[in-house]
Parts: sequence; structure tokens; C-alpha cells
Amino acid sequence: MTKKTAFWIFLIGTLTSAALFLWATYDTQRQVTTLSHVDKLSDEVVAGKRVFEKYNCNDCHTILGFGGYYAPDLTKVVQRVGEEGIRYRVKSPELAFANSPRKMPNQHVTDQEITDLVAFFRWVGEINNNDWPPQDSKKRISRGEQMMVAKVGVSPGAAVFQTKGCMNCHSLHGTGGTFGPALDKIGATLSAEEIGKYVRNPKGVNPKAMMPSQKDNLSERELDEVARFLSTLK
Amino acid sequence: MEYRSQKIAYWYFAAALPLFVLQVVVGLWLAANYTFTIPQSIVNVFPFSTARAFHTNLLVLWMLLGFMGGTYYIIPEETKSEIYSEKLAWFQLIALLVTGVTAIVGFLLGWTQGRPLLEIPTELDFVVVIGALVFLFNVGMTMLKARNWTAIQGTLLGGLVFLALLYLFGIPFYRNLVIDWYYWWWVIHLWVEGAWELVTASIFAFVLMKLTGVDRQVVEKWVYVEIGLFLFTGLAGTGHHYYWIGAPKYWLWIGGIFSALEPLPILLMVFDTMHHVKQRQAKIVNPLTWTYAIGCAVMHFIGAGVWGFLHTLPQINYYTHGSQVTVSHGHLAFFGAYALLNLMTFYFAMPRMKGIAEYDDRRGKIGFWTMCSAMMIMGLTFGVAGVLQSYIERVLGMGYMVAQGYMRLWMGVTMAAGAFFLAGLLTTVVDLFTLRPAKTPA
Repeated sequence: MTKKTAFWIFLIGTLTSAALFLWATYDTQRQVTTLSHVDKLSDEVVAGKRVFEKYNCNDCHTILGFGGYYAPDLTKVVQRVGEEGIRYRVKSPELAFANSPRKMPNQHVTDQEITDLVAFFRWVGEINNNDWPPQDSKKRISRGEQMMVAKVGVSPGAAVFQTKGCMNCHSLHGTGGTFGPALDKIGATLSAEEIGKYVRNPKGVNPKAMMPSQKDNLSERELDEVARFLSTLK
Repeated sequence: MEYRSQKIAYWYFAAALPLFVLQVVVGLWLAANYTFTIPQSIVNVFPFSTARAFHTNLLVLWMLLGFMGGTYYIIPEETKSEIYSEKLAWFQLIALLVTGVTAIVGFLLGWTQGRPLLEIPTELDFVVVIGALVFLFNVGMTMLKARNWTAIQGTLLGGLVFLALLYLFGIPFYRNLVIDWYYWWWVIHLWVEGAWELVTASIFAFVLMKLTGVDRQVVEKWVYVEIGLFLFTGLAGTGHHYYWIGAPKYWLWIGGIFSALEPLPILLMVFDTMHHVKQRQAKIVNPLTWTYAIGCAVMHFIGAGVWGFLHTLPQINYYTHGSQVTVSHGHLAFFGAYALLNLMTFYFAMPRMKGIAEYDDRRGKIGFWTMCSAMMIMGLTFGVAGVLQSYIERVLGMGYMVAQGYMRLWMGVTMAAGAFFLAGLLTTVVDLFTLRPAKTPA
């Protein structure tokens, strides 16, 4: 091979790849309008993005999988912990993470900023991104739940409790969130039927309840299993 | 050293080395954050996020200083002329350092653009752009005036212009997060798998040519094939970052296929380095510089080639994306491809600038092997943590902090390996600043 041939290899290789890349860039720009629901990209969402950047959230948390790996991914955070859950964590991290080995700084974010932030996260959570992350995927995580039952040998209800995000707010034996009450002895006060009714419609039982309804989040069978599991904790 | 103006490179190297040390010290603090519980009062003032911004920005700063120094060292010998303006080179060095230090202090006070790796605020971005323009002008004018074009010069200038152009995509505020990440990768990916590869291919070729005495035509021929393959796989290979951001599905194909080919140019680099060393016309005077050259090619292949290949397949990446697996790959790849390349350049150029023909390399050897083994261990422990995380958090769905609990031990081991790395680095830096002639020349 001569140097001239080598030069042509360089030129053709680079140009082919660049042409493909630039064409795909043009097409991606076009398709992202639909994939990311640009019609819902309101000024509030953009204000939320600015808040997200102002406090450098992204150097601890990932979003769409990019950023710091020190704290949970925020792509589906609204679906995972709800608006009130986000507000509690951002506003009072010293309480929310009192029992956690890892802390979050209190950056004195204002109420308006948190509202914008939630709007931003809600919009991000609806981006059509090939069903990532797997831990929040409705399709995949049921498989995770089945694997826990089969391999780790926990009861189906306990598997639901661990994999469906209950522990983002509630704790068992000191492990889990502090936003909702600890559930170590919940079976002593409530029966399986009462728990089943509560998780389907918390506000129907207690109008002041902060907990979001789990009706759309879990299947009927999962709701029954988790209620049965919790009722055994006495 | 054949030209007076090459001396400016020394100050670029001298500025880069302490920043590298600082980067590693902050790295140890980051590992401590994973291993121990940091009290709320400290987290409120100096959170992980700020420390991470230090760690990554220091990396970019010292490596760019190294590349610029390397460029100023090479250009006079390649063009057979002095640098167009030494004053501009000085101005640009000081401007870059002042910007860097301002940015770091700014992060402490919360002055940030808030985008990972591109935290530098917009106002400072403009200073960076001015610095880059001055640099390109100075290098370009030197080449234009001399009119001794070589493939090494062309590749270097092409890489530097490409590098500067890409930086512009990181400056604006994007309303749409998807578009934001799309162009964020134009800076990050196209730098490290595009522009930086061109710069290093050119510096590497220059050093190899000088070390081995292999004919320029042969060296430059391989440079063309390598950079051709780097760009062919690297440009479209950007797609492996677009799997889960809300871009069209075809990126899974483009990213998957082109990334699978990405190890090829690096493998070629390993082979032709070995080939040049075997076919050498010159005798081996300073074995450590040769060790660095081969070490760089091999570690580049392991970190960027093998580790990159392992987790860019969409089916695997679905579970490993944004986990400590990424961190493992990032550390090995940056160390292998760019840290060792810079250190090789320093070991090549610094003795020459001090007029030492044959240097005493006993401390340098200890430094090299300590750093390489420590980084290899870190790559493995980050990797174990990452696999645990992918399985527990993503496959089993057991929650983020549950997975982090299992990973803690491995982050502790990483911290210990990091301490060894720092020891190796300090040995290397002290050695580079106090190079002495070898006692008994053969």
C-alpha cells in the first residue's frame, strides 16, 4: 500500500461516516419533535431545566443516564416518588436522608423553583426513549419481580414491595424512605382487606393522605399480594 | 531541542502536572464519598457534585495544556522554523490558566452552567474561545510561513481546528433536554473519539518517528489509515450515546455497528507501534520513553477498545448505561489513551529541553508501573461495582441505595488503589521536574 492509497482510505472513510452522521442528525432533529412531545415543552418545563442546571443537580444524579453516578437516575422520578416525594427530598434533605449513608445538600431551593423542577421531570419522564431505565420499565421489572420470587425466595408480596418503589417512601427494619411511615408493624393495626383498599385509593380512606393511588402502578394481583404481605407484619 | 521557541512547551507541561495531581487528590475525595458517610454539614457546603466538577474539569484542563505544549514542541521541528509568536503562546498559556482557576473557584461558589463536564459558565466560555483562536492562529501562521507541509502537521492542525469547532456546540442553552444531550455528545464524544484522537495520533507518530528512526513515509502512511479508521468508526459511533435519550430507533443499529468496529484503529495502532519498534533504525537510548509509548498503545486498546466494546452493544448497554461500568471504562480509556500519551510526550521532550541526552529512569519506572497497575485495579473494581449495580438495581429492580450498599466495599478498594495511583503519580511528577543524567552511560 502506498501513502497515496492510505490517504484515500482516510478521505473516503471519514466522508462516508460524516455523511451518514449528518443525515441522521438532520432526521433526528425532525423526529425528536414527536419523540419528546415538544408540544408539551412549556415555559414552566424550560424554567425547571434552568433550575436543574442552576443547582448542578446533574453532577450527582443522572438524567437519561448521563451525569454523576452518585445518586439515583431522575428520568422517571415523578413516576417513582411523585410530586410530593420530590418536594420533600429537595426541601428537607436532612430529614429525608437522615437514615441514609448518603446525603443530599440542602440548597434552599424555593417553592416556585421546585414546582418548575417537577414540571421539567414530568416532561422528561414522558420522553419516548426505548423504555429506559430498566428498573422503571413496566415491561421489564415484572420480570425482576419474578426473578426475586424464584431465585431469592421471597414471597410474591415482598417482591412487589421491594421492586415497585414502595421503599422510596416507606421503610422496613430501618431500610427505605422516611417520607411515609415505617411499616414494620402495620399488620397489627390493619387487615389485608383494609390495606388493599387503602393502596388502591388512599384519599378515599384518609382525605389528607399524601400517598398516590397505586391502581395504575400495580396490577390487581400485585395489589392483593402486597396487601397480604404487609398484613403479616405484626 | 533544535529550536529556541520549543522551550515554551516546558511551561505548558509544568502547568499541567500539578493540575493532574490535584485531579487525582479530588478523585480520592470522590471515592471517599462512596465509601464513607459524609456528614450533612459538609455535604451542604462541598457536595459531591462540586468535587466531581473539579475532577473532570481539571482533567480536561491539564490534558489540553499537555496537547498544546506538545504541539508547540513538535511544530518547530516539523516545520523547520521558530514558532510564529512566543508572546502569543505565553498570553494563551496564562489566559487558559486564569480561566481554569477562576472556573474552579467559581464552582465552589455555585457559579456553574450546571451541565456535566461543561460546567464552565458562558462568560468564561468566551475567554476559552479567544484562547483557542489565538492558539490556532499561532500554530496556523507558523505552518503557513514555513510551508514545509507534512501529514503529521496536517493531522495535528485538522484535529485542533475540529476540537475548537466542536466546543462551540457546548455553549448555548438548549430548551429541549434531548437536543441538549444530542449536542453535548458532539463536544464530549467527538472530542475523545474524534478530535483528540487526531491530535494524539499526530503527536504519537512524531515521537515514534524520532525514537525509532523509522522512515517518515512509512509512519505517515499508517497515520492516514489509523485516523481514517478512527473517524470512520468514531463519527457515526457517536450513536452509542443516543440509544436511550429519545432519539430515533435506528441509532441502536448505527451506534451498535460502528462502535463494534471502534477497537480496530486502536488495534492497528498497537500493531504498527510494535512494528516500528522492531524495525527501528536507532538504538534504544531512554528505555522508559519507549515503555511509555508501548504502554500507551496497549492501555489505550484495553481501556478504550476492549472496555468500550464490552458495553456499547445496545442489549448490554440497556443495563449498564449510566452505571459504574461507564466509570470503569472512562477511567481506563482516559488514562490509557490520553494520560499516558501526555506523560510519554513529557518524558520525550522534557529531558531534551534540559539538555539531558540520557536520563536516570529508576524513579520514573517505579512511577509508570505503580500508576499502570493501580489504574488496572481501579478499572476492575469499578467494573465489579458496576456489574453489581446493573444486576441488583436494573435486573432485579431492588432500588438504587440497596445496590449501592453492596457496591460500597468495592468503592473502598478503589479508593485504596487510588491512593497507590497518587503515590505513583507523585513519583512521576517529582521525577519529571528533577530529571538527572544517567550515571553510567553505556
